[in-house]
Amino acid sequence: MSQQPDSRPQPSGADRVRRRDVVFVVLLGLAVMCVLAMSGELTLVAFVFSGLAFAALGLVYYLTAQGGADAKPAATVPQVMRETGPDSSELMIERLPIPILLVGPGGRIERANPAARSFLGLGAERGLLSTVLRQPRVLEAVSAALRGEKGASVEYSTVAPLESHVRAFVEPIRLDVAGPMPFRAMIVLADDTSSKRAERMRADFLANASHELRTPLASLSGFIETLSGPARDDEEARDRFLGIMQVQTDRMRRLINDLLSLSRVEMNEHVAPTGAVELSSLVREVVESLSPVARDRRITLDIDECANTATVQGDHDQLFEVVENLIGNAIKYSPDGSTICVCVFDDRTRDSAEQARERLTPDSGRITLTSPTLNPDQRYGVVRVRDEGAGIERRYLPRLAERFFRVDGQKSGPKSGTGLGLAIVKHIVNRHRGGFSVESAPGVGTVFSVFFPVPSGTKQPRESEGLQPLETDEA
Amino acid sequence: MVAPVNAPHIVKAFSEELEQLSADVSAMGGMAESMVADALESASTRDAERAAAVVLRDRDVDNRERVIEKQIIRLLALRQPIAQDLRTCISALKIVNDLERVADLAKSIARRVPTLIESDPTSFAVAVDRMGKVVQSHLNEVLDAYATGNAEKAIAVWERDDDVDEHYNALFRELVTAMADEKSMIEPGAHLLFIAKNLERIGDHATNIAEVVHYLVTGADIAATRPRGTRPTAFDGE
Repeated sequence: MSQQPDSRPQPSGADRVRRRDVVFVVLLGLAVMCVLAMSGELTLVAFVFSGLAFAALGLVYYLTAQGGADAKPAATVPQVMRETGPDSSELMIERLPIPILLVGPGGRIERANPAARSFLGLGAERGLLSTVLRQPRVLEAVSAALRGEKGASVEYSTVAPLESHVRAFVEPIRLDVAGPMPFRAMIVLADDTSSKRAERMRADFLANASHELRTPLASLSGFIETLSGPARDDEEARDRFLGIMQVQTDRMRRLINDLLSLSRVEMNEHVAPTGAVELSSLVREVVESLSPVARDRRITLDIDECANTATVQGDHDQLFEVVENLIGNAIKYSPDGSTICVCVFDDRTRDSAEQARERLTPDSGRITLTSPTLNPDQRYGVVRVRDEGAGIERRYLPRLAERFFRVDGQKSGPKSGTGLGLAIVKHIVNRHRGGFSVESAPGVGTVFSVFFPVPSGTKQPRESEGLQPLETDEA
Repeated sequence: MVAPVNAPHIVKAFSEELEQLSADVSAMGGMAESMVADALESASTRDAERAAAVVLRDRDVDNRERVIEKQIIRLLALRQPIAQDLRTCISALKIVNDLERVADLAKSIARRVPTLIESDPTSFAVAVDRMGKVVQSHLNEVLDAYATGNAEKAIAVWERDDDVDEHYNALFRELVTAMADEKSMIEPGAHLLFIAKNLERIGDHATNIAEVVHYLVTGADIAATRPRGTRPTAFDGE
């Protein structure tokens, strides 16, 4: 009767219940009529006809209910066809490289696509959002969305241990579920780090370049003025001035080269390198290229490799620059006739890579200039460069990797550097997700250590965290 | 073998409450963290408005601390937890205390910003910034260690407290020298000294949290299991 042919194939559970109710009411009606007929209120003819009508109605309803239930299995075919819609969007979300999360009541993560899992370092279990994303502004926006308020776009940034700028779009979604809390919050994260960095880098570069180039430029223009004025005919002064101008222009050229190299490294700092580099052969290459300089000063370059080869993940040219800078510095600040030791170690945990086991002196200063976040399973290949120079005062250690920082007394003279070498080292090391540390004792010497991650899977972790290989041959 | 922090519980509601407690502590950690970050940012960008906002946010952290404390007391009274669960409650209690102090210190850094920017920028801003980054990374790592129940990470932070001390000592000496050399440095120098001291204390609180996380995960005292190496000695000035 009321049954429409098109709605027959899929009667919902609620429909079927309603039909049963109808059957129940019909039976109840029959019973009431029986009582009325027995008490003589109803004539027999009327009772029989209306009873038959009720019975027919009940039967029809009962049959449609049965038929509806029977029809259900047959209806699965069109349903499967229709379900491909949600299925494909599911797959699309799974493969999307943009982190997307769905947060349920109480801040519980209900769904997260793989991009979100890796972005937040989320395990497989459904955790609470605030344990993986502590940013108060995001959490506020999420709880507003869970109350059904308008979505928001919030920005957050962390400066340490890794600099990152992220924009989070939080949007409420109303789900068709029973219960008091039908709202879910959808979070889409967008990583703004590279554009923010590029922006700041440009400003920094201009500021640095103009600041550092001003000094040599001022002296150049002073000499030019003198040469074109009072000293025009003074041959001796002219030669001397030209010599100084040559030194200044050389310095400017070095500065610009270093600045360019620094900003190139900085630009790519968040892109991890992919190549593989063998550290001990790299050290040998560098030592070969620097040996003429060392020979001039009677400095011995001792490649005490400690019988180690270490293959690390990295860009060969950049690692060359790192080791060259460190050994070059060591040569520059060592007295004539001294020895510089270069060691390569393999298979170290982060903390044992950072510093040697033995201190140079009991009260030597040690500081980590940059280091990767701790991953207990990650192993590192280490290069340590130890000189017997004057050492660096403890209070200068934190500033070593600062741009244009030169320890007092190194600011002038023929040996003066650009103050960018160690800054470049630090940025290259950062890009390689490695670490850079220094230990120094005035009057005894300085040890610089750099370490780079060993590609995972090439080496089995040899020791447990507590048992680190002894560095007997180092002290 | 130590049971994992989130081992299933017989009473499901209880284990959910414990999980919620950890999540709330983490969220409070995020609040304290962002206050430190914003206070330092306002100092380096010389942004007095931002600093004022940080000062106001301290109250939120205080409120959050009270709420969490109540939650813990309720848990203790109703569930009478033992072993791992008791450690979860006690360590949450300790950590929120440290976090509240961190937020206070961030507030006191932010309070100095308006007076600091009245004087000319000094070259020490970079050094303060760098020290701030070290402290922030410690705080970040220790809160990560708490959220993931990673004792190794906590140990790593605990062992690195020396770094913060080195930075502080170096900065202290340089500032004192600069203030002795130049009269105009005295005022900004004094403020920077206090900022550096506050950062150093935030670093200490991060170390405290690391100890608590280690205790939470392993049930053992960190100092008893890992002897510390030679510490950088405090210099004559202190």
